[in-house]
Amino acid sequence: MQHEAFANTEDFGGADIAATPPRPSRPGQDAPYLNYALGKAYDEMFAPDGNPRPPYAALDNRISTLPLEELNRRQQACEQSFLHQGITFTVYSDNQATERIIPTDLLPRIVTAAEWERIERGLTQRILALNLFLRDIYSDGRVLKDGVVPRAMIYGSKHYRREMRGLPVPHGAYVNICGSDLIRNEKGEFVVLEDNLRVPSGVSYMLANRDVARRAFPGVFRSMNVRPIEQYPLELLATLRSLAPFHDDVSIAILTPGVFNSAYFEHAFLARQMGVELVEGRDLLVNDNVVYTRTTSGLKRIDVIYRRIDDDFIDPLIFREDSSLGVPGLFNAYRAGNVMIANALGTGVADDKAVYAYVPRLIRYYLSEEPLIDNVETFLCREEKSLKHVLANLDKLVVKAVGESGGYGMLVGPHASQAEREEFAGKIQSDPDNYIAQPTIQLSTAPTFVGNGVESRHVDLRPFILHGSETKIVPGALTRVALRRGSLVVNSSQGGGSKDTWVLGQ
Amino acid sequence: MLSRVADSLYWMSRYIERAEHTSRVMAVKLESMIEQTPEDAIASWSRVIEALTGEMTLDATQDAFLTTRKLAFDRENGAALITSLSMARDNARQVREALSNEVWENLNRLYLRLAPVTMDSIWVHTPARLFREALEDMHALEGVTYSTLSHGEGWYFLELGKHIERAQLLGRLLDVHFRGPRDGSQNTPKYFDWLVLLKFCTAFEPYTKLYTASIRPQKIAEFLLFDPEFPHSIRFSVDRVTDALARVAPGAPPARRAAVERLAGRLKASVDFGQIDELMSGGIAGFLADITRQCEKIHETLYGSFITYGAETVL
Repeated sequence: MQHEAFANTEDFGGADIAATPPRPSRPGQDAPYLNYALGKAYDEMFAPDGNPRPPYAALDNRISTLPLEELNRRQQACEQSFLHQGITFTVYSDNQATERIIPTDLLPRIVTAAEWERIERGLTQRILALNLFLRDIYSDGRVLKDGVVPRAMIYGSKHYRREMRGLPVPHGAYVNICGSDLIRNEKGEFVVLEDNLRVPSGVSYMLANRDVARRAFPGVFRSMNVRPIEQYPLELLATLRSLAPFHDDVSIAILTPGVFNSAYFEHAFLARQMGVELVEGRDLLVNDNVVYTRTTSGLKRIDVIYRRIDDDFIDPLIFREDSSLGVPGLFNAYRAGNVMIANALGTGVADDKAVYAYVPRLIRYYLSEEPLIDNVETFLCREEKSLKHVLANLDKLVVKAVGESGGYGMLVGPHASQAEREEFAGKIQSDPDNYIAQPTIQLSTAPTFVGNGVESRHVDLRPFILHGSETKIVPGALTRVALRRGSLVVNSSQGGGSKDTWVLGQ
Repeated sequence: MLSRVADSLYWMSRYIERAEHTSRVMAVKLESMIEQTPEDAIASWSRVIEALTGEMTLDATQDAFLTTRKLAFDRENGAALITSLSMARDNARQVREALSNEVWENLNRLYLRLAPVTMDSIWVHTPARLFREALEDMHALEGVTYSTLSHGEGWYFLELGKHIERAQLLGRLLDVHFRGPRDGSQNTPKYFDWLVLLKFCTAFEPYTKLYTASIRPQKIAEFLLFDPEFPHSIRFSVDRVTDALARVAPGAPPARRAAVERLAGRLKASVDFGQIDELMSGGIAGFLADITRQCEKIHETLYGSFITYGAETVL
């Protein structure tokens, strides 16, 4: 690593930065913010009057006094660092495999202590409720009997795993690793857009982004009391260990689909940081319901598997028989209690779009508390009143098919033609259970370096929640950025990048 | 250690060794060819081609530019420098968790630096320079491998890969120099070629320290085959292989270990008790072929015992 690439004595003068009076660099008027657009969306850095919000003052001061070439140099140093570490994905075209880095932006996004406190409490509440819900639907189904959630919606879900019924999991913790996507609405409130309860990824980018952002702005970083996140691997390890409390010498492995998986860097990274084995399906075998890895010295027993493979592929004997990634017999070993798997199987039933809409009710049902973080307002077309509202307001809403993802089966009302809306209305009426609707939301914007200046780009926020014998949320997150101007799509497959997230201490 | 991880470490190390060998041979060859007559240069190229690719697939009379491209940058050529580096990196990527950041980043940087290189860009300057720079990077890689990885089982698999490969590469290089030309021509190595052979193996100065600057084929053979202290002698590599075999798979059943150790012992005996005078009176090609065969056998047995063994045999 080339630490000297960032060496700049000025950067280490944290006190000086704080003492310098704020310069009047105004968004849309002065460099480097010439093209910084403040729109309807909440802006993370600038208040509507164009003044930087207090947490961003030091960063503003630094970037508006650094020459553009210097910002470019630091951005390039970030990218070099990613390239050398191998934080890349491969693009295939014309028989040519090109490696591209996962785009990273050097400007950090800042979350204040008060904001974080609320997020942390809200997500803790949420994961508790979701785990209680999973335990319930895989045992008595009380929530279904009480009519809180429609029975057909759960039992009919393709992610409901009948094989999990009546199977106890340690601490009742089905979801051990969760990545929830939050967005900030126009009023500046954080709301949950999506829960990722299967195999969420991105935590390695959270850590890699910290590494480069801290080197890009050492002085600002030091002056701001940013809370550390480097303990994440340790917390993850503790969470995994807590699943197998039966002996001290727990042997843990991360199960990866292999080097061609887009998140392979993360799998290897976590294995290295935790000091556990990184295994592929072909390294494991099951004998007499016990899982072993094949080592040079013989077979070695495995107690806990942090799997980064979807349910469908994990055991060809039980799930998809054409899977070559999984391990035959793994599920039986799991059922026999000889191996723990994180996340448990069948958690996907709780993160689809329909169940999402019920999460606030699940929180009230299981915890008798009001949700601390709201959902995005969601209308379930299966409910008569909502259906009427949706049909009457199609021009203002985004309608999504429940079982689909990635933008399929979706109507973006404000951008659709009258004919398209009418056609979609027909679809909704013929199968209302399959649709939900949400108002269009402007994700908040954050400063992003674009080469010839700093502009606003839409961002979301993905914190990572660990839940074993206790719940832990490392004070940090992956902030995903829609790098195209005006775009609301933050997914890395569609022009998204990421940036570091600085959660401030009290 | 996972068998798959051992497998990748072993091959990563073999490919790095191959890349280093190719770089050095190319650098020395390109530097030395300007001092040779065209005929001698062609004879020398044909030895280099055979030593690096294992066969006479290329026309040695063709332009040095084309030959260099084929041996260094042609990805279709399984023995090319860039192919070896790419394979080393692919193996490393599969065992990122078993490597230090420094090892991965040095290897990755080296590959990323060489991947876009074109012949035209190196040919306008001193072509050998690129290979010299690659060698420097590989020495740095070797250094961080030594100093940042624990010298545990994984490290010994790296040692095994490196030295099994090195012994065979050296064997081939010696073979093409001592065997005489295959085509029956009179192009036997000359004084200058023996000098170059020593340089191919970074052996010139160590050799002269032992034997003075008097360049004699028999002494060269003796040095590169049997010297116990010089890191690019076959005996040195065989000793490292023997040592490493005693350190890998510590928990494997004794019967499995014995199979590999027996083979290593035999190989060691061959080079410990080899006599250069006997070899020079006709048997050097046979001796080298035997060493290569024994290395291959060790490789197979190593795999059968520790890496690809059937699970049913241990349950």
